[in-house]
Amino acid sequence: MDPLEPRAEYDGRFAFTRIRVGPGVDLANGRFGRREPPWMHDFPRADFHFLKILSELTFLKTFIDQGNILTLDDPDLAKFPIAYMSEPGFWVMNDAELAGLRNYLLKGGFIIFDDFRGNHVDNLVVQMRRVYPEAPFVKLDATHPIFHSFFEINALDPRSGYYAQMGDTEWLGIYEDNDPRKRLIAIANNNHDLGELWEFSDTGYVPVDLSNEAYKFGVNYVMYAMTH
Amino acid sequence: MLDALFRFFFDLSPIVFSQGEFRFAASTGSYVAAAAVAVAAALTILAYRKGHGRAGQRITLAAIRLAILAIILVCMFRPLLVVRAAVPQQNFLGVLLDDSRSMQIADVDGQPRASFVKGEFGANDRGLLKALSDRFTVRTFRFSSAATRTTQESDLTFGGSQSRLGAALSGVRQELAGLPVAGLVMVSDGADTADAALGEAILGLKAENLPVFTIGVGRETLSKDIQVGRVVTPKTALKGTTLMVDVVLSQSGFDGQKVTLDVEDEGTLVSTQQVSLPNAGTPASIPVRFTVNEPGPRVLRFKVTPQAGELVTENNAREALIDVRDRKEKILYFEGEPRYEYKFIRRAIPEGDNLIVTSLIRTADNKYMRQGVDGPDELIAAFPKTREELFSYRSLVIGSLEAAAMTGDQLKMISEFVDRRGGGLLMLGGPRAFAEGGWTGTAVADVLPVVLDRSRLQPKGTVMRLTIKPTRAGAGTAVTQLGANEQASAEKWSKLPSVTAVNRIDAVKPGATVLLMGTDESRAERPMLIFQRYGRGKTFAFLPQDSWNWQMDASIAVDDLTHENYWRQLLRWLVDGVPDQVEPALTTERVEPGEGATLTANVVDPSFVELNDAAVMATVTAPDGTVSDVPMSWDGEHAGQYSATIPTKAPGWYEAKIDATRAGKSVGSAVTHFRAAPGDAEYFDATMHAGTLRRIADETGGRFYDAANTSTLADDLRYTGRGVTSVEEHELWHMPIVLFLLVGLLCAEWGYRRVVGLA
Repeated sequence: MDPLEPRAEYDGRFAFTRIRVGPGVDLANGRFGRREPPWMHDFPRADFHFLKILSELTFLKTFIDQGNILTLDDPDLAKFPIAYMSEPGFWVMNDAELAGLRNYLLKGGFIIFDDFRGNHVDNLVVQMRRVYPEAPFVKLDATHPIFHSFFEINALDPRSGYYAQMGDTEWLGIYEDNDPRKRLIAIANNNHDLGELWEFSDTGYVPVDLSNEAYKFGVNYVMYAMTH
Repeated sequence: MLDALFRFFFDLSPIVFSQGEFRFAASTGSYVAAAAVAVAAALTILAYRKGHGRAGQRITLAAIRLAILAIILVCMFRPLLVVRAAVPQQNFLGVLLDDSRSMQIADVDGQPRASFVKGEFGANDRGLLKALSDRFTVRTFRFSSAATRTTQESDLTFGGSQSRLGAALSGVRQELAGLPVAGLVMVSDGADTADAALGEAILGLKAENLPVFTIGVGRETLSKDIQVGRVVTPKTALKGTTLMVDVVLSQSGFDGQKVTLDVEDEGTLVSTQQVSLPNAGTPASIPVRFTVNEPGPRVLRFKVTPQAGELVTENNAREALIDVRDRKEKILYFEGEPRYEYKFIRRAIPEGDNLIVTSLIRTADNKYMRQGVDGPDELIAAFPKTREELFSYRSLVIGSLEAAAMTGDQLKMISEFVDRRGGGLLMLGGPRAFAEGGWTGTAVADVLPVVLDRSRLQPKGTVMRLTIKPTRAGAGTAVTQLGANEQASAEKWSKLPSVTAVNRIDAVKPGATVLLMGTDESRAERPMLIFQRYGRGKTFAFLPQDSWNWQMDASIAVDDLTHENYWRQLLRWLVDGVPDQVEPALTTERVEPGEGATLTANVVDPSFVELNDAAVMATVTAPDGTVSDVPMSWDGEHAGQYSATIPTKAPGWYEAKIDATRAGKSVGSAVTHFRAAPGDAEYFDATMHAGTLRRIADETGGRFYDAANTSTLADDLRYTGRGVTSVEEHELWHMPIVLFLLVGLLCAEWGYRRVVGLA
């Protein structure tokens, strides 16, 4: 399976759409000592596990074992208005990708940033300021509708994140037109890694409770983005 | 011309023949002559039995000879026409003169039609009036909306804003009742502006055997004229609605010329376009698009710039009243599964818009999310289970939801929502919609504009990829207008990204209209947006499952509003004209100042069952601010219908607020507006309507005259047979036609003999 090629041809169903970012990734000698670029972390098991859960729990029609890996300037990204980016701490983009993401969000797209810790958030904030200078990331609390769009997540525990040892977990969002009465166009799980918890949810490497909670957040994000 | 010819040959007017009785005044000599003619005939036959020539030639000659003898025989029996003629000065004659504005049109050799009336009927010593006065006691009336006596020329102003021929004739007939009336003379251009038919007035005249002699003034076609013939607009519209209105233009003398067609909203230009005029005599329908953004009663004026040489410029503009409502109209959108179509339809209607999309989306089994609700209780138990609850919405959108999600009663309720409540229903394409969602055979399938066929489903897991274009019918609707004009709109449609559909529709209902057509990858055409009226409401089917591609696709610019505009226009159409519990109606949006406006209101309970025991009151605010209450009563005939006549005085806007109560509780209220203002109907179809005038004359036993040919009118009127009459006998044997016949037959015999060599 070549992860660089799109595989879920659009037919009206929801497909997990992972954003591929680059350059800056040395596939031959990855700086992490493995052959996997950051955007690809937890692929494909996280993506397909999450799709199975989505399909089981909700009435959303999804692809089950097919997903898409697209760049931000790929015209096909417009067919999948919910996107997922892993490891935004290493995210850099060219002008075409910048324009692609900006247009995507302005037209109605939604992006989830996951799997970053420590000072990685600084890069995310800088990159998103380039994309959408109209609004900064703001910290969300548990009353926000995104935490109630399917599951009722009534408390956000700052120590619950996968990387809580690197700092408090926080949920950051960007509002359309910087207006809290409008929809979120992006959400970021700082010091957290939902993908990791989805990926290993069937192995016992991570506690079931943590995986369950991670699925709840993922399902809520998708449901929110499908309705707002 | 024909009339003069008739008189030359027959020595008498045609009307004498039509009114007279044919008799013979035979004497003893007549019978002697008959015997002589019989002998002559017998001799003729004997003479032609044998002799020269062929049999056919001899038969022809014998026939001519016998015809001559027959004419002589008829003349010997003294044929008479017995007719009752009016005794001079013993009878009355009613003369009705058209005093309306259309008589000012100068289409008679550059002179206004009124000049004929003044010249012939302005004073007793003039023209036709003198000729009539010599024979009758003339009563002169002028008429526009009604007939009134006139005694002097200055009474005629030619300023009446309507011509009610029927009312005028009935009025004069009643005024002259009991008098010996020989007949009526009506001088008019025949342009009847009354809503009621002439038939009733004609029946009254026929019952009294009272003939009407009509004189048509004016030309039957105007040499140069442009007319805005008809404009059909909705009575009400929601603020911000884009309307597509058909303006019917007709013209004479300006074939193919380009003119400017403007639309003004209370003086503000809201639309302008260049149009090519149709050929003379062929009205053309021009679609005009504009948006109503100002609330309240708005007078929209559709006008074509007057052109040089036009005889009538007043008919270059038409006005229409639209009550623009600035209120919130709620649409219930029930979506059966999370999907992007839902999100983007909701996004198309911004907060603060007059449309409110209250939505219920099923995210999982028995799990719903509500959006756009008014309070915590709204839709708390998911889709409404009572008619009162469902009918509180004005329209209903059903997304990708299977029919089995509804109870039988809920399905029936949806059908009644359209049929009885008059709401709009839109079903969207999706995996659980239409036949694929098991809707075939349900009560809802009956109201949908498409035929559902469970034997021809779209195979699971397959999609149709389609490009969409408006049909010819669709191009004339506001919903398909994506550009500033027709051409820009067509270009936009051709560039829109394709969409997918998962519902197979092969046929639409007989009364349905396909507005958008899709072309799939095999070039087969599939209906994509279908509309039909059903009962009091309307239904739509929209097949694509991802019109959001028109928003998200990479080829669409960020500031492109195609998707938003499409959905705003479609949803506005969905709520357009949906009735309230108290729904007012006016027979006409304009009345003449001083006339009463007939106001009706349909009153129903929350489940839209008509109420006949409600107390209904109209509070009328006149232009000067005075307020009066006019009770409205059930008309006793139509369930739930109440009516009242609202009197008017001063010209201007009148507002009627209708409140209905029942057992002390409010049923509902509604506001409507109407205008008291002089009408401009006189200038439309302003040619001389000979057909109308001829019909009045023919059906009552009178005659129609062109204004240029009225010399025999006064004489003809003597023979109507009404009033005080004396019997006149007219000998017919010496009519010129008899002499011509005899001479003609003799010449024919001689000529024939010469031709066949028997002379």
